[in-house]
Amino acid sequence: MVKEILTLIFTPILAFFVGIFLLGFKRKMVARIHRRYGPPLHQPLLDIIKLLSKKENISHGVMFDLGPVMYVGAAILTVLFLPIPGFKQLTPFGDLIAFLYIMVIGSLGMALGAGESGNPNASIGIARALTLMLGYELPLIIAGNTLVIKYGTTDLYKFMTLQSGFHWNLFLLPLTAIAGFIATYGAMGEHPFDVVVAPQEVATGPMVEYGGKHLGLLMIGMAISTYIETGFFVILFLGGGANILTFILKQLGVIIVMTLFDTVFPRFRIENAVRYFWRWPTLIALVGLLIVYIGGK
Amino acid sequence: MNFSLLMILLTPFFGGLLAYAASALHKSVRNIFFLIFMLIPFVELPVYLNKTVDNFYYLTILGQNLSLGINPLSSMMLLLFTLIFFLSSIFMMFEFNDRGEEGDLAVLELSFLEGAVFGVLLARDILTFFIFFELMAVLVFFLVGKGYKEAHTAQMKYITWALIGANSMLAAIVLLLFKAGNIGYTEIAGYLSTAPTSIVLVTFILFAIGFLIEASIMPFHVWTPITYAEAPDSVSVVLASVVKKVGLYLFALFAFSLFGLNLFSKLLPQVLNNSLVMYILQWIGALTIIIGTFIAIVQEDAKKILAWSSVAQSGYILLGLSLGTPLGVAGGLLHIINHSIFKGLLFFVVGGVIYRTGTKNLPELGGLIKKMPVSFISMLLGIIAVAGIPPLNGFNSKYLIYEALIQKNEPILLTIALLGGTGSFMYVYRLIHSIFLGQLHEEHESVREVPLIMQIPMIVLALLALLFGVLPGIPMYFVSKVEAFLGLDPIKYNLTGFPEQPGLHAGNVPVISITFVAGLVVAGLLFYLLPRARKVHQLDNYYAGEVLTKDVKYNYSFGFYSFFDDIIAPFNKWSVESVYESFVGFIKTAGDYLRRVYTGNLETYVSFGVILLVIFSLIYILGGILW
Repeated sequence: MVKEILTLIFTPILAFFVGIFLLGFKRKMVARIHRRYGPPLHQPLLDIIKLLSKKENISHGVMFDLGPVMYVGAAILTVLFLPIPGFKQLTPFGDLIAFLYIMVIGSLGMALGAGESGNPNASIGIARALTLMLGYELPLIIAGNTLVIKYGTTDLYKFMTLQSGFHWNLFLLPLTAIAGFIATYGAMGEHPFDVVVAPQEVATGPMVEYGGKHLGLLMIGMAISTYIETGFFVILFLGGGANILTFILKQLGVIIVMTLFDTVFPRFRIENAVRYFWRWPTLIALVGLLIVYIGGK
Repeated sequence: MNFSLLMILLTPFFGGLLAYAASALHKSVRNIFFLIFMLIPFVELPVYLNKTVDNFYYLTILGQNLSLGINPLSSMMLLLFTLIFFLSSIFMMFEFNDRGEEGDLAVLELSFLEGAVFGVLLARDILTFFIFFELMAVLVFFLVGKGYKEAHTAQMKYITWALIGANSMLAAIVLLLFKAGNIGYTEIAGYLSTAPTSIVLVTFILFAIGFLIEASIMPFHVWTPITYAEAPDSVSVVLASVVKKVGLYLFALFAFSLFGLNLFSKLLPQVLNNSLVMYILQWIGALTIIIGTFIAIVQEDAKKILAWSSVAQSGYILLGLSLGTPLGVAGGLLHIINHSIFKGLLFFVVGGVIYRTGTKNLPELGGLIKKMPVSFISMLLGIIAVAGIPPLNGFNSKYLIYEALIQKNEPILLTIALLGGTGSFMYVYRLIHSIFLGQLHEEHESVREVPLIMQIPMIVLALLALLFGVLPGIPMYFVSKVEAFLGLDPIKYNLTGFPEQPGLHAGNVPVISITFVAGLVVAGLLFYLLPRARKVHQLDNYYAGEVLTKDVKYNYSFGFYSFFDDIIAPFNKWSVESVYESFVGFIKTAGDYLRRVYTGNLETYVSFGVILLVIFSLIYILGGILW
């Protein structure tokens, strides 16, 4: 009991540092592809410390302050519903469906906070974010459905254990995995789907008015979210992990592949992004679903 | 104390008459009577909770006994609707405060509407139910007319559809009356169990059309948006939370209790473990979800967003109910309760905003969070519930429906339902952003929070939404009783959620809530311990070097999802509404030609008479020869 509670307390901290590592690695890798030297691996951590120690902070109101707090709080909540190797976390109290809905609490908090700033860029950014979400959710839902049909359960921990020993869904259901990958890739807002932050158009969108400790909190939340999104993909398609180290290695693998795509693409317009998601990944996911639905479990 | 069912039924009618008479004395006397009689059913109802009383005869007409009765399903609905009626009567007093005569009539009609709804719920025979159902439609017609600018168009649209439904139900009732020779629910159920397939199917479809029109299910939803949007705000609450639910209540009662699922599966072919008619209804429910959601996203009128959203939500309810499994029906019934609560809440908040600002056009609103904090928090809880995010009540019922779809192995329907959930984030965020977030307009600088008494409806429903969300066991207590009454195995539940059972992964909302609060505390402490933030003006913003001023604000509100509009625009030409409109156009053209008969010339009319006489005589003579 004590051990479980301690694990629950330490998982968000672990998730934070893993997320920092993944983000730092990504920045380094992008730099190397650009033939730059790039910042050190722990640069995101330094950025957060810098932001949190700013003496001057501005606020547009109570909801504006609550936004980042809700974002981090919900990120901690979400991490605890994502199983890690050998430990179920809180999954006995909520399954895949509950997880999908818990995952949006943080985005809702951030959207509300950014909305109160009254900056038109922030509002446009959020309108785009929600529309994009409608785009990538369709292939993601179909891919998730395929797995649910295949395993006959919605328990995320069982997903992980059922794939152990290289029964990865990446190999068994490659089409579903590809659709799931594209959807996750869009959810992480990588190029060409970075319409939400789009620095040259809407000046980082929802985050435009945030600075100082608010932005510091948002970056903490973002680090945890990076862990969650890659971890979610690893659990669904890459068989989770035998121990926490292989789990993190697989997450790193996901980030590496994503960064390879991320660095070479320009940006979609938002409506094109949604159309893209509703066309190709959805089609691939549907074919994957059909195979499992007809071919049996 | 014991109250007879007839007393419960007549209470609102007496109350309405008394209040209307009292309006001759003073407005406040009227209001006191109005509220007291709205409260009385709360005293009368608890005796009947979860009891089954059948065939309490009150009148014999044409040799048929008209009877009343109560069962777990109707007692659950009665309790819920009494609450909604009471809260909306509080709101109505403010809304019609300075409208004189019209206000007196509205009070009368709302009381009568409550009586009519009670009549439908307590009826135990098809004639009583039909009479009260039609009374309900007439009263809604009057009430809607007291609304906004377009209310008279809305009124006509509503009554046209209500009459289509009425005629369709009347046909079924007459058919049953002649075939079964009896009007009681139990006798009809007995007759139907041995009736030929064609009669079962025809009567069910005719009844279903009547109910689904009231429940605003696609393709009978076209009256909903305009009626909900143009009705007075207190009436919109009643429309979305009560009148629509009456249609769904009747659907549940008829489909499960009168007709029965076994009857359908005996008579009709099976599709994927469903009887054909239920499978079609599932798809209609799913299409209603997606259409309602996608159109709600691109609306510019606060009440229209809510109206389209409630179209989508009744799609969820129909989908859940027509699955016919214990899980799906539990989800559908729970969503009836939850939707009544959160949609009522949202209509109250929007009504309050209109009460203070005088507009429901979203681009004219904005930044009201600092002026109306209680409304903001209420709406925040409401939108979280609509989006089905834990820990608010919408999550539990949608969760059950999703799990039921998984159990039934219907991935496409599940995909549509989940996508509708995601779409609902879009329109609810638009609603709260355009009203409470964004920039405050100059003319709203002096807006205040709605009066304290007017906050009661919002606060009560917001707290209920939270309570039923965190502790789903409370509404599930009623739902499981109803399931037992409808002849299904009630699903297992406990106060905090759902234990592990076949087809359902365990869910526990309090754990989610506590974890979330813990996360908030950690993040909040970190935030609190760091240097305090300085408040800045809303126009003190970064806008790429440009300076925002009072005149040039660039508030982003109009066409919030215009890019989404581009995506769905190609499908607009397939809308159901355009089909109806072309039908109306056809009728108008045909009528135009028919009108030319009336030339105003006596000779023409006489010759028409002669021609008709000849035709009829010919038919008569030929008929005599041929048959």
